Amino acid sequence: MRQVHALGVDLQDGLHGRKVPAAARRLRRLLDVDGVVLADLDGPVAGNGRQPDPQEVKGLLAQVFEYGSNTRTRLTDGTSVCAVPLIVDDELSGALVASGHPVEDDVEAAAALVSDCLDHAALRRTRARIAAADLRTLRAQISPHFVHNALAVIAALVRTDPDRARHLLSDFADYLRYGFSEKGDYATLSEELEATQTYLELQRARFHDRLDITVRMAPEVLPVAVPFLVVQPIVENAIRHGLERKEGRGHISVSGFGEGPLCVIEIEDDGVGMHPELARSLLAGTGPESRSVGLANVDQRLRAVYGPEYGLVIETALGEGTKVTVRIPRFTRGVVAQ
Amino acid sequence: MISVLAIGLVLVTSLVIGVYGVRAARSTSDFLVASRRISPNWNAMAIAGEYLSAASVLGLSGLVLKNGLGTMWYAVGFTAGYVAVVALVAGPMRRSGAYTVPDFAEYRLGAPRLRKLCGCVVLVIMLLYLVPQFKGAGVVLSLVSGTPYWVGVLLAGLVVSGSIAAGGMRSATYVQAFHYVVKLAFLAIPAIYLMVHSSPDTRTQALHPEWDTRFPERTSVEFTVGTRFTLEEPVRVTTPGGGEVELGAGEHTVAEGTEYAFPEGAAIPSPVGLPELGSERWSTPLLNVGGHPLFETWSTLLAITLGCMGLPHVIMRFHTSPTARTARRVAVGVIALLGLFYLFPTVYGLLGRVLTPQLVLLQGTDTVAVVLPAQAVPGSVGTVLTALVAAGAFGAFLSTSSGLLLALAGGLSHDLFQGSVPRLRLAVAVGACVAVLLALPAQMTDINVLVVWAFTVAASTFCPLLVLGIWWRRLTLPGAAWGLIVGAVTATGAVGWSILLPTPAGWATVLLAQPAAWTIPLAFATMIVVSRVTRPPDWAEHAVLRLHSP
Repeated sequence: MRQVHALGVDLQDGLHGRKVPAAARRLRRLLDVDGVVLADLDGPVAGNGRQPDPQEVKGLLAQVFEYGSNTRTRLTDGTSVCAVPLIVDDELSGALVASGHPVEDDVEAAAALVSDCLDHAALRRTRARIAAADLRTLRAQISPHFVHNALAVIAALVRTDPDRARHLLSDFADYLRYGFSEKGDYATLSEELEATQTYLELQRARFHDRLDITVRMAPEVLPVAVPFLVVQPIVENAIRHGLERKEGRGHISVSGFGEGPLCVIEIEDDGVGMHPELARSLLAGTGPESRSVGLANVDQRLRAVYGPEYGLVIETALGEGTKVTVRIPRFTRGVVAQ
Repeated sequence: MISVLAIGLVLVTSLVIGVYGVRAARSTSDFLVASRRISPNWNAMAIAGEYLSAASVLGLSGLVLKNGLGTMWYAVGFTAGYVAVVALVAGPMRRSGAYTVPDFAEYRLGAPRLRKLCGCVVLVIMLLYLVPQFKGAGVVLSLVSGTPYWVGVLLAGLVVSGSIAAGGMRSATYVQAFHYVVKLAFLAIPAIYLMVHSSPDTRTQALHPEWDTRFPERTSVEFTVGTRFTLEEPVRVTTPGGGEVELGAGEHTVAEGTEYAFPEGAAIPSPVGLPELGSERWSTPLLNVGGHPLFETWSTLLAITLGCMGLPHVIMRFHTSPTARTARRVAVGVIALLGLFYLFPTVYGLLGRVLTPQLVLLQGTDTVAVVLPAQAVPGSVGTVLTALVAAGAFGAFLSTSSGLLLALAGGLSHDLFQGSVPRLRLAVAVGACVAVLLALPAQMTDINVLVVWAFTVAASTFCPLLVLGIWWRRLTLPGAAWGLIVGAVTATGAVGWSILLPTPAGWATVLLAQPAAWTIPLAFATMIVVSRVTRPPDWAEHAVLRLHSP
């Protein structure tokens, strides 16, 4: 059983992984034959033990791939070579060749086992791709939200204040370049702040300067790599749900500082706040549909990148404003701003 | 009293800068200013501020007074360390994006277990480095407030952990840069004043170390510790009760608490085992404690120079630079700032040799910079100068130890207990407690002995890891792990032995007290040999390439 399990580990990266020769050796021992060759559709990829003549193997493989069934030949020295196709997900994708005195049923069973392992490898790769795609979808989810708001603001200003509208449009263009850039999934905190700035510029236009903004950033956290669009959605949430409904002036502050190996970003507003229950349900993704996009999304992405303990922390109460804290490690393997 | 006020002022100012001194922008147009990265000059000042510890501010002048001119090599090493940092690690480290050495180890070799091992080494280095800082703070605080040493150490622990808890390190860059200015100004102004206002005789004596050493005036010496010393010629000393005691030539043992007043012109007794003040051994520009000056000097120089790049709180400062290029520029700036600063401890050491030679007898040479001004310029000016130096020394303690404590706490909460919710404040408190407890029995140990210990461990562990990790793609996980273990055990063990246990005579003493010359090559060799027989990770090529591609 241990050998079978180890075979699965050896083949976890498919037929082109680093440990395929080890898998061939294990198969030779399991089958108790003189030599084993693992081949994909282009020919042998790994072998172990006494190998039959390459021409012989080539002919054998051609035969297997043509008919898709087991093939056996007897060699001049009394031994025989047996080749069995590897069928992964109903598709022919390689062959297992055993030489010496192979028992055909055993080789067939081994081939089935190898096929299963390869199937698992393929599934694992797919799963990783799905996770990456998820991340990208989540990222894209934010943009339409903002695009609509921004265009509405600019449209309202086009006649009354064309100069400002022009500025805002160029800001908006900058923002789009940032948001839609295909460079990777991470940016530095300072780039993220610049994107937030263009966003705030657009929002201030809407608020007719009813909005006060304070930014405190310790310079040592500016080069920290963060996932794209982490600060901006929180700021957007603070404005849309905290300050928009508030009478009179509103104030929002963004501060960032280092705390040992962690980087802390706090976004605080003095808006209407919300019920703590609502905040909890928002993070859990069970909140009302209209509000579920921003915070839950950021929270989910942070957890996906840094691990479950690095989600958002929301401190709020009705009428007391809201404070959202992002706490992330300054360095995580694989998180690099491009 | 004025010293306590000055220290309080430095403390309050750093707290205010720490909590509110972050660049604040009140409108969106300032947003870009706030998000623009810090200039290399500020960053260099911050690094220098964090780096100049009690070892530099207090320890160095004490060592010059006690062990002679050779100890100036320490200053050379402390500065030259940054040359090694610029040449070997600053740029690539920045490109890796790693914040700490454990981060780098994980980036390069990708193993959580190696990360834990690195975390342990960080703890060892940081504690070894913290203890002398607390010792220095304890000495200064007890000196200016008249409390016992342990109260000073305890107070220092409370102050530094309290200031971290109050958010005092939020804008570490500005706090540390402020501390550099404090240290430089508060040490330089008294030093220049003393140089200008000391008599021409004093200056001549200070520059000619072979001058005969006698008490310049009637000097009362209170032995705070039991001391053994030898006298060249008999001397008649006065006790506080008014009685007179005749001390004959030869060796004497004095109990703790004894107070003798030596008459003017009496030869200064030399403590057993130390080079005689002004003797040839004192004025030779080599380190000489165990009798093999050349080896000792090289070994210490190696330890300090290479240890600098392995100090966790130094490495993490380069993370602040936006690019590898600026990281290197910052390091060059640090060299200039350090070079400027290190002019002054020497002044205190040389003047101290002439004006306060009794400190050698008291085993209190670490305090020379604080004691000297009052001794040299009596009256209110002296008090003010003392206050300046004390505040500067306290600033040194505050900046270095808060940097160290944060690095230590980060290691505890992030590297060793990964996965749990980071309890940084708790880790800070624990780190401070342990450092205070270890500092209590360290009163008699020279600050620089302990600091060089920390440097030696860093040089024998993280230096090979970083250098090989950056410049040699064949480094493997087992190689790195074994090299770290071998380096940490030999370096920690050797120095620990030489401090805590009796050492065998001859070469062994030197090899144990200054082990860097053999532990560093040993650690390098272990890493290389073990890596040769194991397989590097698949991504090694790619990881190394990214460290070097512009």
